[in-house]
Amino acid sequence: MNSATMSVALVGGDVKPVQVEVHVGRPQESFKLTGLPDTAVREAKDRVRAALASSGAKFPNRTVTVNLSPAALPKGGTEYDLPIALGVLAASREIPSPRDVIVVGELALDGRVRSSTSGMAAGVLSARLDLPCLVPESSASQAASVPGARVYSIKTLAEAAEQLRMGLDDEMVKPRSVPPSLDTTADLADVRGQPMARRATEIAATGRHHLLFHGPPGGGKTMLARRLAGLLPPLSESEAVEVGLIHAAAGLTRGIRWDRPFRSPHHTASRAALVGGGSGVPVPGEVSLANHGLLFLDELAEFPRSHLDTLRQPMEDGAVTIARRGMSVEFPSSFHLVAATNPCPCGFTGDDRKPCQCRPAMVSRYRQRVSGPLLDRIDLVVKVGRVESVEMRSDAETSAIVRKRVAVAVDFRSNRPDLISEAASRLILRALDSGVITARGVERTKRVARTIADLALAEEVSEDHVAEAMVLRGDW
Amino acid sequence: MTTPHMVRAGTASYPEGLLDLEDPPDLYLIGDLAAAPGVAVVGTRRCTRYGIDLAERFGRVIAGAGWTVVSGLARGIDAAAHRGCLSVSGHAVGVLGSGVDVCYPAENRPIYDGILESGGAIVSEYSPGTPPDRWRFPARNRIIAAMSTAVVVVEAARTGGALITARLGAEIGRPVFVVPGDVDRPASEGCNLLIRDGANPVLGANDLIEGLGLIIGPPQQAASASTVDLPQSGLTVDELTTHWSLSLPETLARVGRLEIEGLVRMSGDRVIPG
Repeated sequence: MNSATMSVALVGGDVKPVQVEVHVGRPQESFKLTGLPDTAVREAKDRVRAALASSGAKFPNRTVTVNLSPAALPKGGTEYDLPIALGVLAASREIPSPRDVIVVGELALDGRVRSSTSGMAAGVLSARLDLPCLVPESSASQAASVPGARVYSIKTLAEAAEQLRMGLDDEMVKPRSVPPSLDTTADLADVRGQPMARRATEIAATGRHHLLFHGPPGGGKTMLARRLAGLLPPLSESEAVEVGLIHAAAGLTRGIRWDRPFRSPHHTASRAALVGGGSGVPVPGEVSLANHGLLFLDELAEFPRSHLDTLRQPMEDGAVTIARRGMSVEFPSSFHLVAATNPCPCGFTGDDRKPCQCRPAMVSRYRQRVSGPLLDRIDLVVKVGRVESVEMRSDAETSAIVRKRVAVAVDFRSNRPDLISEAASRLILRALDSGVITARGVERTKRVARTIADLALAEEVSEDHVAEAMVLRGDW
Repeated sequence: MTTPHMVRAGTASYPEGLLDLEDPPDLYLIGDLAAAPGVAVVGTRRCTRYGIDLAERFGRVIAGAGWTVVSGLARGIDAAAHRGCLSVSGHAVGVLGSGVDVCYPAENRPIYDGILESGGAIVSEYSPGTPPDRWRFPARNRIIAAMSTAVVVVEAARTGGALITARLGAEIGRPVFVVPGDVDRPASEGCNLLIRDGANPVLGANDLIEGLGLIIGPPQQAASASTVDLPQSGLTVDELTTHWSLSLPETLARVGRLEIEGLVRMSGDRVIPG
């Protein structure tokens, strides 16, 4: 007596269908679980047994074999409790085999269904396969936020069994359309002064250039970085789904949201926390959680050099591969890097007023931490000086105004020829000859100049665009 | 323009510098010889990446100063110097060891054509159609040296054409500028030897232009403005927008240009003159 129930596994930034196969055999009590389960899945045995008993159903006094297929797929977490329990009932002919329903949910011992990080994954699979899904009530709104998902919310194992026995009714959870909520708490208008840094922020948002702010404490480096997120165009539907799934894979419930993720790991974060890892089923790191969004590294020079070096490959490839024994999982990691740092340990090297307390050797050591390959990938480097009190007035543009300009430029950018005037090319060569930029800096200057031209809605990069681009890549 | 014609020694259009040679040869010529003073940029064919970058840069700055880049259109340094010159549409003269209508090596055809397109000239003492024979190359080096006001050697081995050009140049009174190199790098051995023998070491593109300027006279296209109205202690970019009454992008663009001209430099967010 067999049954098969559909469930879902999160793999990398995507979902894969999983078949929960249950076989109930000859009369002799045993319970076997196969198909690469992790510890949490293996413990499902006991929860399922207890929950079935609490729900008034009898656990068959027979050999029960559960197989999670495809076996090669790593499976973790507690979301297979419910499909296993329903599978046991179906194999015992208590209910029809829920072959065409996607089921996720953790079981409490008393038969209630608990929320699951896979709620959203079930929604995504439901929309993709055009099948209904049963999810715990507390995860239902997340699953329903996936466009096209058919979601049934359930509270208990008994209710789920009843639903399947009677056939799914029309009481589907209403598809929840997510309003385009943009972060309004952090507005650019709050930043006093710093026109140059604001300009760099706008250019970074338009061209997705990695950006480094440096300068003494109190200039507003962190404020500016946080406000960059609010200037970015909203996520597309497929991006929002991918971002939500990666968060779910890390055990975070984000669901579908249109604002871009903003991740700011502390400089004491481990390497695994930054790029992903973990024992057993691989867990995405900050670089993947920041996929399609911003990765903000505050106090960049305080991050261990070895950690910064591990960011290079994800930055370059837009994906991290985490290899484990017998499996390797790829998480997308196309993040937009914004970093901030003091110029020296005390923060006041090069300040107009306040003297620096550091010994010269300390300053150069500190600076060297932010150098080499990572710095090469940062297009915009801008000093954020301390603000004079006279500048402490608020006539600055709001995020809404800048966001509109960025949106227009991004739109223009997607559909224009890539031209550069001869004079502009010559200016780059002149700058190279006079040592203002390095050979490496040529491409960077061209990239930034291109974005500056886009903001001016110019098809051709001009000399002025190039000259401005050079200034916005100051020395670190 | 693309048909070769002959210029006899001693005629009005004959390059004056060649008369310094003991045996001024008749020249075959395609294109135009400019009146602008020529600077020879020569070096080994077996050069390093560093040498190529430097030769290109020298070609650019010499052309940028309004002078003619003279070289031998050979592989390596010669080609790089020509390329640099052409990248800013400068005037170049290629002196061949074959007939003027024979482009050798063939891979330098784009440079050959480029020189003519931007108004330069290809010259040779050999009649059109003469094949490129090895033994002819050292002889053309004396023409490169004599047609130029100064000779710049970027990379040269202990033996080879570049060294010959430099020595011939020195014999007829042409100042020789040489890029110093690592003492154990074969491509720099000849250069270092020349410096030991009294040639002028070149310490960079600006240094070269300065040195050449002392001999040839100041570059034609000198920096447009020589001063900026800025306090010595500098201003922040933000203060400059008020100072110049320009928009921020305009201010940044202006700062960028001045920086390239060497008139200002950035120190953090401050713009400092000089």
